[in-house]
Amino acid sequence: MSKNPEKAKRDSFFNLYFTSTISIAVSLFMVGLVAMLLLWGSSATRYTKENLVVSLVLNDSTANDDIKRIESYLKSADFIRQYHYISKEEALREHIADIGDNPVELIGFNPIKASFEVNLKADFINDDFLKNFEHKLENYQFIDNVAYQKVMISDFNNNIRKISILLLLISSILLLITVVLINNTIRISIYSKRFIINTMKLVGAKAWFIRRPFLWRFVKNGLIASFIACVGLFGVGYYLQRIDMSLPLYDYRFYLPIIVVVFVVGFVVSFFAALFGINRYIRMKSDDLYFI
Amino acid sequence: MKIIHYKEVELCHDELIVLQDINFSVSEGEFIYLCGKTGSGKSSLLKSFYADMPIKRGDARIFDYDLTKISRMQIPFLRRKIGIIFQDFQLLNDRSVRQNLEFVLKATGWKDSRQIDEQIDLVLNTVGLPKKGYKRPHQLSGGEQQRIVIARSLLNSPQLIVADEPTGNLDPEIAAEIVGLLHEISRSGTSVIMATHNMSLIDKYPAKTYIVENENIKEK
Repeated sequence: MSKNPEKAKRDSFFNLYFTSTISIAVSLFMVGLVAMLLLWGSSATRYTKENLVVSLVLNDSTANDDIKRIESYLKSADFIRQYHYISKEEALREHIADIGDNPVELIGFNPIKASFEVNLKADFINDDFLKNFEHKLENYQFIDNVAYQKVMISDFNNNIRKISILLLLISSILLLITVVLINNTIRISIYSKRFIINTMKLVGAKAWFIRRPFLWRFVKNGLIASFIACVGLFGVGYYLQRIDMSLPLYDYRFYLPIIVVVFVVGFVVSFFAALFGINRYIRMKSDDLYFI
Repeated sequence: MKIIHYKEVELCHDELIVLQDINFSVSEGEFIYLCGKTGSGKSSLLKSFYADMPIKRGDARIFDYDLTKISRMQIPFLRRKIGIIFQDFQLLNDRSVRQNLEFVLKATGWKDSRQIDEQIDLVLNTVGLPKKGYKRPHQLSGGEQQRIVIARSLLNSPQLIVADEPTGNLDPEIAAEIVGLLHEISRSGTSVIMATHNMSLIDKYPAKTYIVENENIKEK
């Protein structure tokens, strides 16, 4: 028994557009995943940098006015994220809490010095800036020394640079693969309609009249695929969040740039792939349709 | 008045000469047969009329268009003056007959839905299929599909109908009906150029005949 033509049309439409939408969605999901990795990496780097402590250890003879002076400097500096003053007494309490021994009982006085614990903004955590900062602090005679993990910061920055280059390389390759995949999917879909495009041309339709429905269809497909990819990315985010609560994946602001990237790539690649694909057949002579 | 005027025209496909030294003209309301063996260049000549085959050299004019200089932007407007009929119909199978015809009208600038409906009814009546509008092309017989293609070609009241082997896929009786219909259309003032190798049809409906052979065209 012959198939209901309406149903057959719906089935073929469903198959063609469902498969092409899923192919595009998978490609966009990969792009989103890399964008997610890049953002997470950048966010983790920032978090680590901003939690790096620079200690300004003060001489025991530091007067209250000097403490206020350095506090005022730290308060006004735009590269300081936060600072915290630890008095000699507070430092001793922390020491006893951490180590268990009270040095006062042992040597008769408190040897631990007061300090400022400073967190810099992430953009300023680099060797050159920290050296300058340290040099500037040397002008304050009451600062005994400036302590931070110099080797670690240097290694950390070097490693981050290498990882960023690698991630950018991987994301560029993935983006290229995505563009090629989406382009091929759309071109195959348009190829299957080449004789319809030819008929449209021969009845006198203008180029834009032919292009419009195809462009709309493929852009719509691209946007639906972007939506599907975003749902997948939220799923991955949710799963990772359950594994490690410290990941910033619960925050919608984290997803916003990823959503924008996925939708922009989905829209732009679909639009241009469809445009170039259709133009090819609009310009093609009828005879040439049989040779491709 | 001449609507087609070809003088010393040469048609090429890529670098291969298909027809050369073509001297050919068509007047308003004229019916012309193009005869010749398969591969003789009949279809190429027809395609050149609607700018689907480049003209290498010569003077080729159709209506007010110079086919040697026609721009891509002008081609849709030229094609709106020509009704094209193919052997393999080339209807859009994903929509009904009525939607096929509606598509052509919308593609050629018709906007008023009442006028669109009236024009579709008119052409379906002309080809004798007033009640087949709701069907899809594959639900029609070959003869009916060809009538729909003729209806489609009539939508914009063309000055010229170009028919490339329109009876090639039809049985003799239906083929005769289709040619009879094209003659009827021609009598109303539309020029018709029909490519065929069916001599019995020419005997039944005689008209001016050109033979396409040896890369050339001559009147029989």
